[in-house]
Amino acid sequence: MSAGKKATGGNDVKSRSARRAFLKGIAMAGAAAAATPAWGGRTFQDAMGDFFQKHYLRMSPDEVQAAIERIQRRAQDRFGVDINVKNTPAQAGVVFGYAINISKCKGYRDCVSACVKENNLGRDSQVQYIRVLEMDQGTMNLENGDHYYAPETVPQEGKFYLPVQCMQCDDPPCVKACPVNATWMEPDGIVVVDYDWCIGCRYCMTACPYWARHFNWSEPEIPAEEINLDTHYLGNRPRPKGVVEKCHFCVQRTREGRQPACMEACPTGARVFGNLLDPDSEIRYVLENKTVFRLKEDLGTEPKFWYYTDG
Amino acid sequence: MLLAFGCAGLAGAQEPVAPAAETTVGFAGYPDAPALSVVPRQDEMRFFPCEQCHKFLETESQVRELSSPHTNELDHGEGRLWCLNCHEGEDRDYLVTLLGERIEYNDSHLVCGGCHANRHRDWYFGAHGKRADNWQGERRVYNCAHCHDPHEPALEPRAPEPMPPVRKGLARPEGGAHAPGFPWETQTDSTEEQP
Amino acid sequence: MGALIAFVFDGLRAMCRGPRLYWWWLGLLLFLIALGAWSYLTQLQEGLVVTGMSDQVSWGLYIANFAFLVGIAAAAVLLVIPAYIFHREDVKDVVLVGEGMAVAAVVMAITFVVIDLGRPERLWHMIPYLGEFNWPMSLLAWDVIVLSGYLLLNLAIPFYVLFHRYRGREPHFGLYFTMVVIAMFWAISIHTVTAFLFSANASRPFWHTALLGPRFIASAFASGPALIIIILQIVRAVTSYPVKQTVIDLLALIMAVALQINLFFVGVELFTDFYNEGAHAASIHYLFLGLGESHSLRPWIWTALGMNIIAVIILSVHPLRKQIRLLNLACVLAFIGIWIEKGMGLVIPGFVPTPLGEVFEYQPTLIEITVSIAIWAFGALVFTLLAKAVIAIEMGHLRHSSGTAVPGEMIS
Repeated sequence: MSAGKKATGGNDVKSRSARRAFLKGIAMAGAAAAATPAWGGRTFQDAMGDFFQKHYLRMSPDEVQAAIERIQRRAQDRFGVDINVKNTPAQAGVVFGYAINISKCKGYRDCVSACVKENNLGRDSQVQYIRVLEMDQGTMNLENGDHYYAPETVPQEGKFYLPVQCMQCDDPPCVKACPVNATWMEPDGIVVVDYDWCIGCRYCMTACPYWARHFNWSEPEIPAEEINLDTHYLGNRPRPKGVVEKCHFCVQRTREGRQPACMEACPTGARVFGNLLDPDSEIRYVLENKTVFRLKEDLGTEPKFWYYTDG
Repeated sequence: MLLAFGCAGLAGAQEPVAPAAETTVGFAGYPDAPALSVVPRQDEMRFFPCEQCHKFLETESQVRELSSPHTNELDHGEGRLWCLNCHEGEDRDYLVTLLGERIEYNDSHLVCGGCHANRHRDWYFGAHGKRADNWQGERRVYNCAHCHDPHEPALEPRAPEPMPPVRKGLARPEGGAHAPGFPWETQTDSTEEQP
Repeated sequence: MGALIAFVFDGLRAMCRGPRLYWWWLGLLLFLIALGAWSYLTQLQEGLVVTGMSDQVSWGLYIANFAFLVGIAAAAVLLVIPAYIFHREDVKDVVLVGEGMAVAAVVMAITFVVIDLGRPERLWHMIPYLGEFNWPMSLLAWDVIVLSGYLLLNLAIPFYVLFHRYRGREPHFGLYFTMVVIAMFWAISIHTVTAFLFSANASRPFWHTALLGPRFIASAFASGPALIIIILQIVRAVTSYPVKQTVIDLLALIMAVALQINLFFVGVELFTDFYNEGAHAASIHYLFLGLGESHSLRPWIWTALGMNIIAVIILSVHPLRKQIRLLNLACVLAFIGIWIEKGMGLVIPGFVPTPLGEVFEYQPTLIEITVSIAIWAFGALVFTLLAKAVIAIEMGHLRHSSGTAVPGEMIS
């Protein structure tokens, strides 16, 4: 559990908080031989608290609060920023669903960039929650899709674009796979990960048919000034290395009625998000009035993510 | 006046304004659709009000080449449209529907819907267009002209954001495995010379 | 209780006695382990970024070795069944060696999984009640149960038998026979569960086949005896422990049949996938022929196939199999062939192409290779030490007699 002092983008060193500077001052004044603080820069108490921290769903409100404070101190330590960690619960009577109009998606990848910024994704690691596939017209075979298209302008002639992200399956194979219940489906249908409980076995990545789960092969690097301070415990709070993460429909936004970042960023309005239980919602209109399809429906995972076309 | 639409973009969205109530002679909206307000756009128009100039000009109903400042090509309707199909000839600060109803610029979707009725319906219900701010609570929706220049409605191609990275320390294999086209395409290639 | 302490103490003492060659061997193993430990330390500090794995190919050499080693562990049952069910006395002599091998293989398999974890310090999250254990849903939870259970069984049976021998008593037949029967079924279960670990993934068409379980068992029953045959010959060469040729003959026959069945299964798989080249076939296409520019596994799998075919020919032709040199060659070929086929050849193609159709190749890094070698060395060390104690007791050199053991000269 080394709190990765080196791999945090380099900018954090400058922007230590006053609190830490003060503590450091005391340590120096104490003339202890503490050139580098033990426990990866944290107190012994925090290190123990992290190690013995319980599963999110098993914690009492007090314990959650203590955990949140530790997470905040950790972020302060890693990035020198004060993050807000919410634990907003799911709204009653809400199950989220998402639909994309692939006639409208032009492959700009604006959703990808917005997601990276919103969700504090490691900048130089591989993690991106959304993959946009450039597909040949006339086929839905994903193997023909180009993940790394980079023409001067999109859309290209003869292509259509298929953004793929976590489908928030209603029968999620990743949840079944996890040996320690570190990932589960919330009452609003979002499949979340407790980053402090995940052991990093990556079996969920193997189980996911949509390649939606991603692993922190190294400590995620984010420039301190680009960190999104508005975070959720089960969402975009900074992640350590060695754990799996995934799209969570921007739980930090959507539970407060806001749009997921990818939808907000989409310049063509191809994305429709809403409450599947509300018969008047836009998402329900799409499902009931458009010809929709889901990816790999035959696997029985019941994705809550649809695609539709104009017409 | 054609210039007035320009490309105002999505950023400058302001206060919601309810659709004008008196313009419901022919089309009364969709009562089943969830309540919506349209993000206003009139304030973002560069040359508005149009009557600044047009009150001094005679209305000519003749289809003709326009001179400055309205020299843009009208790339809408494949040659079937011209100014007065959408713009109110007597008062250029308004638009006009097929039934001759006078429409404010902020309600321009009612003009678009005259031809694009299916899209308009989808827009009302949320399967087309773009909602602002939230998924829950007050529903504010961008107007058609926020995204589509009415005189050139197709969206311009542009550069995509960067391609996804690969894991630190690894290189993306060159070439990739992008499958060739359909088998019948290669069949014709081998049998006869195709231009 | 005193006898127990003396037993453990004497056992440890037997492990610490041996000729120069023994110490060189241990030294070599310890050196390899130290090398791997150092590499693993880097991995702990930097994260799994030091491996060749990626989001595309999220399991690599470690899990490949794991899958293979579970098979080796399961194969110990091939000594247990003839020894205890069919009462083959010659096999009974060496059954404890086989169980020692099972212990070593399970220890290696578990270690391979642990070092593959991104957060090994959170392993306690798996402990029921203390943590969360997603049983019976998660196949990985099943694997944890069957592997640790198998480890305990294979420690308990020899321990029970040896402890009795040590005190000069006969083990209670009813008791250990029950344990042996459980261990037999358990052995099949560990490898079936490990196969299910892969075949449970509908997301990975390459693994998602009912044949995977039988294929795992067949390949295990070929690679396991291959290793046992070689180990028994080494034991025979470096100790005076009696290893009868009939045991080796029996194992060679089992191996021949298992390898034939395994090759048949591979053929069945190839037919099913290649006759209709649907999405199901992309991975096997990648494995055997390559996809586009990506074909790094192609030479490996053809080598493996060639090795297995040569091995099966040697083993199936009676006069060839009887020649110990050729038999040894067949064992080495089959062992390596199956290691490739069932390790890298099974685990990696499951990830290529990814569920989104991306073809991204995997290449193990030096760190992964050193760590893997170290774990094999660790397994060899565990086996050597166990075998040392087992042989000492079995040969009667170690007996509990008023607290002192007879110092053995069992090493020839």
